[in-house]
Amino acid sequence: MITVNINGLDLQAEEGWSILETCAFYGIEIPTLCYNEGLSPYGACRLCIVEIGEGDRAKVVTSCTYPAEEGLKVRTHSEKIHKYRKLIIELLLARCPTSKTIQDLASKLGVTRVRFSVKNDDCMLCGLCVRMCEEQMDARAIGFVNRGKDRKITTPFDVKSDVCRTCGACMYICPACQLRCHGPEPPGAVCGGCLNIEYPCLDVYEDVHCYLDPCAACLLSEAEKKKEEERKEVKA
Amino acid sequence: MTSIEEFQLQCTEIRRKRSETADSPTIVISSGTCGRARGSAEVAIALEEAIRAHNLENKVSLRITGCQGFCQVAPIVVIQPENIFYQGVTPEDAEEIVTETVMNKKVVNRLLYPDPQIGEGILSKEDIPFFTKQRKILLENNSLVDPTNIDDYIGIGGYSALCRALRDTNPEEIIETIKSSGLRGRGGAGFPTGLKWQFCRNSKGDRKYIVCNADEGDPGAYMNRSLLEGNPHSVLEGMLIGAYAIGAQQGYIYIRHEYPLAVKHVLIAVEQMREKGLLGKDILGTGFEFDIKVVKGAGAFVCGEETALIASVEGRKGEPRQRPPFPAQKGIWGKPTNINNVETWANVPHIINNGAEWYSQIGTERSKGTKIFSLVGKINNTGLVEVPMGITLKEMVYDIGGGIPKGRKFKAVQTGGPSGGCIPADLLGLKVDYEQLKEVGSIMGSGGMVIMDEDTCMVDTAKYFLEFLQEESCGKCTTCREGIERLIEILTDITEGRGSLEDLETLRDLGELVRDASMCGLGQTAPNPLLSTLNYFYDEYLQHIKYKRCPAAVCKEITSAPCQHTCPIGTEAVVYISLIAQGRYDEAFTIIRKDNPLPSVCARVCSHPCESKCQAGKFGDPIAIRALKRFATDYAMKNNVTYPIEKESKRKEKVAIIGSGPGGLTAGYYLAAKGYNVTIFESLPVLGGALAIYIPEHRLPRDILNHDIENIKRAGVEFRTNTTVGKDIPFKKLKDTYDAIFIATGAHKSMELGILGEEAEGVIHALDFLKDVSLEKDVTLGQRVGIIGGGNAAVDAARVAARLKDCDTVTILYRRTQKEMPAFEEEIVACLEEQVDIQFLTAPKRILTQNGKVTGVECVRMQLGDVDESGRRRPIPIEGSEFVVELDTLVVAISERPDVSFLKDQEGMEFTTGGALVVDPETYATGVDGVFAGGDVVTGPNVAIYAMGAGKVVAEMIHQYLQGKTLQPEYKVTRPSMYLDPVELSEEEVAEAERPAMRCISTEERTCSFKEVDIGLSEEQAVKEARRCLRCDLETKEGRSKIEEVTA
Repeated sequence: MITVNINGLDLQAEEGWSILETCAFYGIEIPTLCYNEGLSPYGACRLCIVEIGEGDRAKVVTSCTYPAEEGLKVRTHSEKIHKYRKLIIELLLARCPTSKTIQDLASKLGVTRVRFSVKNDDCMLCGLCVRMCEEQMDARAIGFVNRGKDRKITTPFDVKSDVCRTCGACMYICPACQLRCHGPEPPGAVCGGCLNIEYPCLDVYEDVHCYLDPCAACLLSEAEKKKEEERKEVKA
Repeated sequence: MTSIEEFQLQCTEIRRKRSETADSPTIVISSGTCGRARGSAEVAIALEEAIRAHNLENKVSLRITGCQGFCQVAPIVVIQPENIFYQGVTPEDAEEIVTETVMNKKVVNRLLYPDPQIGEGILSKEDIPFFTKQRKILLENNSLVDPTNIDDYIGIGGYSALCRALRDTNPEEIIETIKSSGLRGRGGAGFPTGLKWQFCRNSKGDRKYIVCNADEGDPGAYMNRSLLEGNPHSVLEGMLIGAYAIGAQQGYIYIRHEYPLAVKHVLIAVEQMREKGLLGKDILGTGFEFDIKVVKGAGAFVCGEETALIASVEGRKGEPRQRPPFPAQKGIWGKPTNINNVETWANVPHIINNGAEWYSQIGTERSKGTKIFSLVGKINNTGLVEVPMGITLKEMVYDIGGGIPKGRKFKAVQTGGPSGGCIPADLLGLKVDYEQLKEVGSIMGSGGMVIMDEDTCMVDTAKYFLEFLQEESCGKCTTCREGIERLIEILTDITEGRGSLEDLETLRDLGELVRDASMCGLGQTAPNPLLSTLNYFYDEYLQHIKYKRCPAAVCKEITSAPCQHTCPIGTEAVVYISLIAQGRYDEAFTIIRKDNPLPSVCARVCSHPCESKCQAGKFGDPIAIRALKRFATDYAMKNNVTYPIEKESKRKEKVAIIGSGPGGLTAGYYLAAKGYNVTIFESLPVLGGALAIYIPEHRLPRDILNHDIENIKRAGVEFRTNTTVGKDIPFKKLKDTYDAIFIATGAHKSMELGILGEEAEGVIHALDFLKDVSLEKDVTLGQRVGIIGGGNAAVDAARVAARLKDCDTVTILYRRTQKEMPAFEEEIVACLEEQVDIQFLTAPKRILTQNGKVTGVECVRMQLGDVDESGRRRPIPIEGSEFVVELDTLVVAISERPDVSFLKDQEGMEFTTGGALVVDPETYATGVDGVFAGGDVVTGPNVAIYAMGAGKVVAEMIHQYLQGKTLQPEYKVTRPSMYLDPVELSEEEVAEAERPAMRCISTEERTCSFKEVDIGLSEEQAVKEARRCLRCDLETKEGRSKIEEVTA
């Protein structure tokens, strides 16, 4: 067992665990998109970023790939990380606003606007389907082609693959096509229809963490209170 | 080879042979890819033929080497043993080189490198400024060896480091040596090499790999190519030593497919090593097993990143993965792998040979050794330079690089390739090493150094590099893929005039996200060009967003035609040029007159900023825009073409303008056209301000000036001459009587030299002198006139003096050289034509007097030293070089200041320490309600067109003020009022298109009268020149649709 310091708390972790796994074990919620327990970590969506180290040596790493090391200091919800996550959600939302998964994350993290033009792409290139196909289904029917902004997921040479068994695992795991948002197309890419509540607890906290997930009534009552106040203000 | 001793014996024999033939004539021709692109292969063939033709095959040897670094002057031929350096050699020169230099031992002066300051040929490389500040350790051998011959490399001591490593040391000692030498990774990140080796050595694994990263992908950086092409064995020897130290059995050289010559030379070298027994199972009988495989990369930029490189070597998609694990733990095929850059490997043999202490003495505290940089962009000496770490950027740019071409101003240097930051001029003193570069927001990178001048737009630059990185990003992680795309989206908005201030905040946030949260080095460094330009050139972003201006006139959708965009009064030059090209001269005049109430004046004396940004001037001569304006205005005057002044109905408000210079006249005209009652107060008896009294008649005839002023009178402007505000009429009274006031009094107070004897009789100020001549007062000049200064006032004074009867000789004393003179170039040339003597690099020390009268000036010679803030070389006095210039009159023309003493009591008015008025930079409003100021009284001495620009804005501001609106100048992107069909040029026309020379009256006629010197272009000349215009206005989206319309 090794000891990792997460958000100011010394926590025991198994050797070989990633930071994300350690956090999951203790119920510290870190948002992810391209991570799945059954697949190898990929580190592409960057949502699971955390801050490690201190002072000048502090840096941002993906918790899904970074191993829990003895004495490592981790901050999962620092101001910087929170700001970055919101910006990543904003980028993803502009790319594929129809994904309910992303819309829900946006609501949860308090992303209320998208400053970029909306692309309406169906895929956020998280690569879950590619890894699913390769690692769990042993088919390798799909993969990435091209690079940069032209990158996409397809079968070799864009033709129907001989090795594909149409098992549907790729669609099962996809955060964009399976959980497609069917609500009205929101203006400005942010929907927030289903989960339009504020981020649980405080926006930012360096060293403390509330372990309740999903957040308990305190939050809802807070929201209620706020609404009540707003109503009063309107009346006044 | 079965033992080290046997190999060493063979080496000794090779070296003995080489030293024996050291004195025999050798022609060295550098023929890397860069040399070949400029024809060195043909030169080599010609030289070979010439040697054969003279039967010298056995006496003279020809050595074809790699690049010597000075690519600007390639092909380079060096004659040994005399060490004569020939540049820019063509195949036609081969015969002369062989017969003259090799056979007759005579130097061909024509082929020598000319000294940039004095123009004399420099004989050997060591004396050329480009080379003197360099310290060549790695590149030096490029000129000494034929890269395809291993014996050449052995001959200069090659592989002795390997022998020493294998025989005298053990792996731990080697790693210790590399560690204490302080060598750091030359690929850019600067990780300590010894430590990296140590990690890999300590890593558990039955098989280990080392890799030479030759995937050099930075545009403009080519030091790795140069090393592999010119001296591949030095890299291979380094790899062998590294493999021995790390315990690796297999090495890979990952090299770009686009480097065919480097691939060829490396493959030859590897084969030769194998023949000598330097690769294989049992190297030199020591039991050390190592082999090298060359892997060709397909040219993906990201494959230079080590984890992507590993994927590519394994045959997978070249895509990085998240570290850790690091390659030293899990690399190629999951085995411990050590990857170093070409240049890092090439350093190793030198360290082993000369010791860690020798190496660590070179460089700065934390960055040791030398570094090769490729100096490219807007720089006089393009090429590869090897310098010790810690050299300043200034030395790189000005001493080695020779400064910026065409005397333009340095703006920024980007270090470290496309993902490096842009460092501005005020950080030129920066000492180049890993830490310092990082501190200012840039990187060492591979050592690319792109120099940018004033014609580079920094917003466009940031966008350009991000576009490159977008193309090259693998697209795996969200931040890099989406982030860069969105950064470009925002930057495109800004460069097309749609930006908002909020965009700047988004850019910074997003840039920081991409930098901090991306997976690999590509994404982490990609925002550097953006973040550094946001830091250092924030104002340029603001200019684009707020004022819709691109100071470098690069961003097409903002500038449209740079000539129009650059003109302070927005003259649609491109339109009237097009009209002239079509023979529609009347309309051309109307277009000119629309934006300019003083067209005939500007056609003669404008400083034509439009021409400085003319696109035709980028690779040739700019269009003679002012001369074309002169043609159109002359035509209008001759044919009585008048401009119909569209006057709005009369208003009751009264506006007073103080000063009838270009600014006052312009504001007055536009206000009168709007229907206001405008009165211009002028203290002199003549109208026109500086135009009338400081610009001499031979440049601007008074009837021409009066013709333009007459038109302004026609618009309804009233003039009160001989009325000095503050003397004849108090400012307060003016303020009470008028609804708004515009102060445009100019800058007339001459500055003092501050040297001994200045108060002597015969010392006069240039402006007083010019004014007295203009007002036809009595001016007594001595026979010998001296003028101190280098600006327009100095040159005007000189040309006027040369026209006066009393005066015999006129001498200008200027402390810098002609290149640095601030006066207009055409004026300097005319000055020299009129027999004015200009003493460059001369500064006055004291004025010599006798009986209170000036008799001469004691001067001191100067030399150009370091570069100062203005980007010009600072003149430094040469001690003991004092000499006396005998004079009867001395005219001082150094600078002027505004004189605003009449406003001193005015409450709310602010002044600078230089005596200028302080105004709001956008609205020209002073601290006093309803009082505006513009022109030289605000800016200090400047040329007419800028005062007119201010006048035009002030007219609009006064209008808004009088209408009770909030003052808000309107800013929009530049567009012409009409698009004309482009003209089509025949091929002959294109071939002979050149800027016409202005026709002038003869020099004899000039020096005895004040007749206008320039005659103007003929109709034929004008049309021909107008047809040469590149029509930048058609390059915007709007303009392109016009072309489509025409072609359809």
